[in-house]
Amino acid sequence: MKKRYIVIGLLASSLASFAQRPDSTYKKRKLSTTDVQIIMSYYTQDNDHSAVTGGLGTEDLQVYATQIAVDHQRDSSNSFHFDAGLDIISSASTDNIDFVKSSASKIDARTHVNTGYNRKFKKKSISAGASGSFSIESDYTSVGGALYFSRLNPSQSREISMSLQMFFDDLRWGRLHDGHPEKLIYPVELRNKEWFDHYRRDSYNLELGYFRIINKRMSLGIYPGVAYQSGLLSTPFHRVYFSDSVRRVENLPLSRVKFPVGIQLNTFLGGRWIARTYYRFYWDDFGVVGHTLNLEGAYKMSRVFTITPSIRIYAQTEADYFKEYRQHKGAEEFYTSDYDLSRFTSLKPGLGIRYAPYSGKDRTTFNAIELRYAFYLRSDGMAAHMVTLFINYSQEKKKNGGNNMPRQ
Amino acid sequence: MKLKILIIAAIGIFFSLSGCESVKPYQRKYLNDYEMKPGQPGSRRFEEQVQAYREGSSGGGSSKSSGGCGCN
Repeated sequence: MKKRYIVIGLLASSLASFAQRPDSTYKKRKLSTTDVQIIMSYYTQDNDHSAVTGGLGTEDLQVYATQIAVDHQRDSSNSFHFDAGLDIISSASTDNIDFVKSSASKIDARTHVNTGYNRKFKKKSISAGASGSFSIESDYTSVGGALYFSRLNPSQSREISMSLQMFFDDLRWGRLHDGHPEKLIYPVELRNKEWFDHYRRDSYNLELGYFRIINKRMSLGIYPGVAYQSGLLSTPFHRVYFSDSVRRVENLPLSRVKFPVGIQLNTFLGGRWIARTYYRFYWDDFGVVGHTLNLEGAYKMSRVFTITPSIRIYAQTEADYFKEYRQHKGAEEFYTSDYDLSRFTSLKPGLGIRYAPYSGKDRTTFNAIELRYAFYLRSDGMAAHMVTLFINYSQEKKKNGGNNMPRQ
Repeated sequence: MKLKILIIAAIGIFFSLSGCESVKPYQRKYLNDYEMKPGQPGSRRFEEQVQAYREGSSGGGSSKSSGGCGCN
């Protein structure tokens, strides 16, 4: 009997010693996080089907792109986003518009900025945000805006999301050089008349998302969407050669409706392999039907190195308005020889390597450095190479006087 | 034939969703891995943009984030 009292007494005293006591020095500390991402990439392509020269001519193109994105999470509710980038474009086909206006554009530049704000509402696990964007190149100015909404279920295993993106584009040439857009630029020999009486293109993209955790190793995302474009969908410096030797500027309908739906299934297989599977079905009222299958297998070579071989297979039908060089008939209302709208299949094998070092408390280091290479081959003969370097760094800051520390 | 495939796929997805298990936040070691992120994280974004320019289709979880014609 005595023993029992001793055991109970010991248990009670041990529990009392481990029990939490009010800490008069405790202060609620907030964490702010800043995440910086830098992307540098190089793209080169070549083929002999340029739309500038009516489906026959060089498509030699090189793009050097740099982008920096900063996400700052001020506290658990408010976060801000900013990204900006510069693409340097060297295009041989653009030089075939003429030898005055577009010669300077043999080396062109595209500058773009995008900024946004997102707020989390704790009670219902709802996030909502808005963003604005601007981009400019010699033949194009675009102002955009977007609204985002998402909601997590209480167990955080399902998320529904919605985003609405809007782009308002001006296709007049010249704003990049002297700040004043002049007019649409047509091929040099087709400037005897104004082919179009409008120069704006508006785009609205509505995308829905349903994300679901299937089990401890598998997640599924379904992304249906609808996009509507209106205005000048033709590119004013694309030539079309007709069978009777007549030459005109490309002419496409004034509106386009697109319906894509994507499904992504990610699975952690065993201890080292992750399979990323993505399929997209696409339909639009130009007559393009597309199927995309992307398979990636991320293999964790060690705790810090991941290697990702991938293969992407794509097939599309041709748009109703596409015909090759000198295949269009004079009576047609809409016509293009842009091979991006032709029937083709493409294959893109790729390989990525990611180094994600462990960042200690008192060290400043990158979260991750990633290098990817992909080769793109289209059945019409286009071959392209893409190299991308991605660098990511995050820092957490304790708001009430704590130390700054990089985040793993 | 295509409609049949779509219906079969929809039924398959429905049954796979109905078989989902509850996963607690502390059981998400694998799900929280960087490579398990939905969408196109990291360097994949640039390739998505190129493909949107060079192909007739776009969207479905890979929307573009800024305007641009890609008309070269």
